[in-house]
Amino acid sequence: MPVEKKIEFEIDHHFDPVKCRHYLNDTCTVLHCHHYMTLFHQLADDAKGFEGERFLKEAAEDTFYDVLKKYFELKGIIALEEMICLAEQYWSVVGMGLIRFISVGRYAVIAEMEYSHVDEGWLKKWGGREEPVNFITSGFVSASAALFNGRPAKTFQTKETKALVCGDETSLFKAVIN
Amino acid sequence: MAIDRKKIIEEMSKVKVTGNEEGLIPAFNVFVQQLPADFWNAFSRRIVNYVPDDLVEAAEGLLFNAANECGYHTGYGIITSNEWKEVVGPMIEKMPEDVLHGAFAVFTAWGWAKSEVIEIVPDEKMVVRAYDYYESDVLRYGRTLRPCAYMIQGVSAAFMDLAYGKPYPDGLGTFHCVQTKGIEMGDDYGEFIVTRA
Repeated sequence: MPVEKKIEFEIDHHFDPVKCRHYLNDTCTVLHCHHYMTLFHQLADDAKGFEGERFLKEAAEDTFYDVLKKYFELKGIIALEEMICLAEQYWSVVGMGLIRFISVGRYAVIAEMEYSHVDEGWLKKWGGREEPVNFITSGFVSASAALFNGRPAKTFQTKETKALVCGDETSLFKAVIN
Repeated sequence: MAIDRKKIIEEMSKVKVTGNEEGLIPAFNVFVQQLPADFWNAFSRRIVNYVPDDLVEAAEGLLFNAANECGYHTGYGIITSNEWKEVVGPMIEKMPEDVLHGAFAVFTAWGWAKSEVIEIVPDEKMVVRAYDYYESDVLRYGRTLRPCAYMIQGVSAAFMDLAYGKPYPDGLGTFHCVQTKGIEMGDDYGEFIVTRA
């Protein structure tokens, strides 16, 4: 009987006592709260004239593309199913919520979130709103979509079409190829 | 017992967090996340670098505000937490000055900045130095023209708000902070002066 391989995002966490910094799989990380996260999103949303939303999505896409790419290379991950599972687990491990990639194609990728740090934080801080605002996860989905397809960053653009913060049951992200 | 900074850093840096079954990390009365420092720098620098010169201060002010609110609410969560009561509580002799020294030891332990309070004038002024902080990573060569440790600025002011402002949650904005030195500007350390707003 074949044994099913368990896929698990491995965490190597250490604290450098000299520089006083934390590292997760050799990437310098920092703990922040939902106040900081939601205020960054509000800033991005308010800065419409200065492309705030695009900047936040790009900052996320660049960062998480590098993080996931480095992890996949280090662990020799090449199977699509493993990449998908590990990307989902990474988002959960770092506290960003529960994401599921429900459709991964060459030209479009769709992801759903049942729980979301940004939305839960926004609801806790300010209550609901009419428009989706989870720009960081949009950037993460764009990064994941590119990696799933062996493409460079900035290949996909993601739009959040449903959102927990708007009262929807789940948040929905659709990444489409440029 | 006075504040034992080394012990606080040793103990509090061991705090390991990971998402629960919902992928969330509820702690200290807030939701936390553990993201690459590069992400925060990447957004801050894009915004500040992109706006016209006459709006740079306004953009910096918004980044300060984000950290100020974060520091105020999360700071309150920290100093009322069981972890704080167990590790730092027994060391506190002088209120609220020892709380400030302890808070910056926790600030250091959590990787926000290797920082310490070097001067306190009760109810008036605090001087903080940071010897290593992720916000200075934006520079690879030379120096920046302006200080850019908005997170340390905002949190430093917030901690003074908690110490000497009106009782939580009404004290936010009592103090403000000016960064007078920065590793990113070629100095050996960052220096942050907090005074009444």
